[in-house]
Amino acid sequence: MRVLAIETSCDETAIAILVGEGDRVTVETSLVRSQIDIHQAYGGVVPEVAAREHLEMIMPMLLRTVRHDGEGIDAIAVTYGPGLAPALRVGVETAKTLAWAWNKPLIPVCHLEGHIYANWIDREMLPTFPVLALIVSGGHTELILMHDHGKFERLGETLDDAAGEAFDKVAKMLGLPYPGGPEIAAFAQSGDPKSFTFPRALLDRDDFMFSFSGVKTSVLYELRRQEARMGDDAFRSDIAASFQEAVVDVLVQKTMRAAGKYAPASIVLAGGVAANVALRERLQGAAESIGMPLYLPDFKYSLDNAAMIGAAGYFRAKQERFMNPLELVADPNLDIV
Amino acid sequence: MTYTTTSAAETQVIAANLAKQLYGGEFISLIGDLGAGKTTFAQGLVAALGSLARVKSPTFTVMHEYPVTGHASIRRVVHCDLYRFTKAEEIRALELEEYRSLDTVILAEWTDMLPDVDWTPDIIVSILHAGNDARTIEICEK
Repeated sequence: MRVLAIETSCDETAIAILVGEGDRVTVETSLVRSQIDIHQAYGGVVPEVAAREHLEMIMPMLLRTVRHDGEGIDAIAVTYGPGLAPALRVGVETAKTLAWAWNKPLIPVCHLEGHIYANWIDREMLPTFPVLALIVSGGHTELILMHDHGKFERLGETLDDAAGEAFDKVAKMLGLPYPGGPEIAAFAQSGDPKSFTFPRALLDRDDFMFSFSGVKTSVLYELRRQEARMGDDAFRSDIAASFQEAVVDVLVQKTMRAAGKYAPASIVLAGGVAANVALRERLQGAAESIGMPLYLPDFKYSLDNAAMIGAAGYFRAKQERFMNPLELVADPNLDIV
Repeated sequence: MTYTTTSAAETQVIAANLAKQLYGGEFISLIGDLGAGKTTFAQGLVAALGSLARVKSPTFTVMHEYPVTGHASIRRVVHCDLYRFTKAEEIRALELEEYRSLDTVILAEWTDMLPDVDWTPDIIVSILHAGNDARTIEICEK
């Protein structure tokens, strides 16, 4: 089965074509807008949230990817939420129009579900159910239990800031460029993670909720107290290492607690923060210590992209979970469950 | 009016009191440094309107819409965050003013991000760090 996938839930306009066979999905094409602009001046700094930006990009990207009559495409998958309403609508309305005009089945996909399915793309070894998924990105921090394809249960989420957002905001406080995640990780390498004790929020609660607003504020207070040392790279490295340690501690501890409680067959990491080496290593170590297989996504499929939407869409298509193109409506507040 | 609070819970009480004065149609600017408590304030305000929405920071997602049920005149809150914006034209392209309607309250964080965008908020909430968990909150109605 050949699936055309469209993703426009926030900053990135993305189009992909995937081929699915049995439980295997392989990417034929995956275009993300930022990859197309070779001389892009802003490197992802500018949020292309305006629906106008998606509108300008989506047709040229489609024309590069598919025949105008849709020949060779068996189904169309599209992100219909959660996300920014005007941005989502561009992808959803495009997919509806193509599905109607080509008379192909339309598959609505949740953006968060897509992130989890990044772990199924181009893989020999596939996660086994039930899967415990930790999604960590700039916009989301969620623990999801996936009972089977298309069957999700949200165990917990952030009550305020997403973990990736905290990374970016702390980077900004330290005077580091955007995106802040890789910058913090680089600085943290030469720092001492025990030099400052930043709060590990909600670890005393036996639920799976997160909060990363307090750790951000705590870093701010420390920097204000020690303003004179801001030019000192060793100091900034210690702050970065201690902050990263606090965030990783919480993410790993809550994930392993969830693994203890729900006894999944595998754990998957998803979302842009999956690129963080400290998080990958700590989670790997923790999973190994209980003999639990851990799956990590390719970096190119952990940031927002359409290939992950196509992968999720393929498994939905296998269950024939199609939707009448005339009835699909973008849902900015969509839940994974 | 200016208030001093000593905890996130107290900040949410101030937000809840402001919520009681809203009818719908208001545009509220939420101004304050990183970690000042803008999202905390938004959570208090949205909950006080009777919404069960899970209010989170919209920094990356830019805009959230929370349905409100059970209020006499307000049906939704639009919670928006301009932190990541670097150009006035991008903010204009968001067409935030288009969301203004009598059944909607707009809560916008970081409207002070770019000085050359003209905002016409009805209420400006400024939150300042005042040492540890203390905050000074100024609510200015235009």
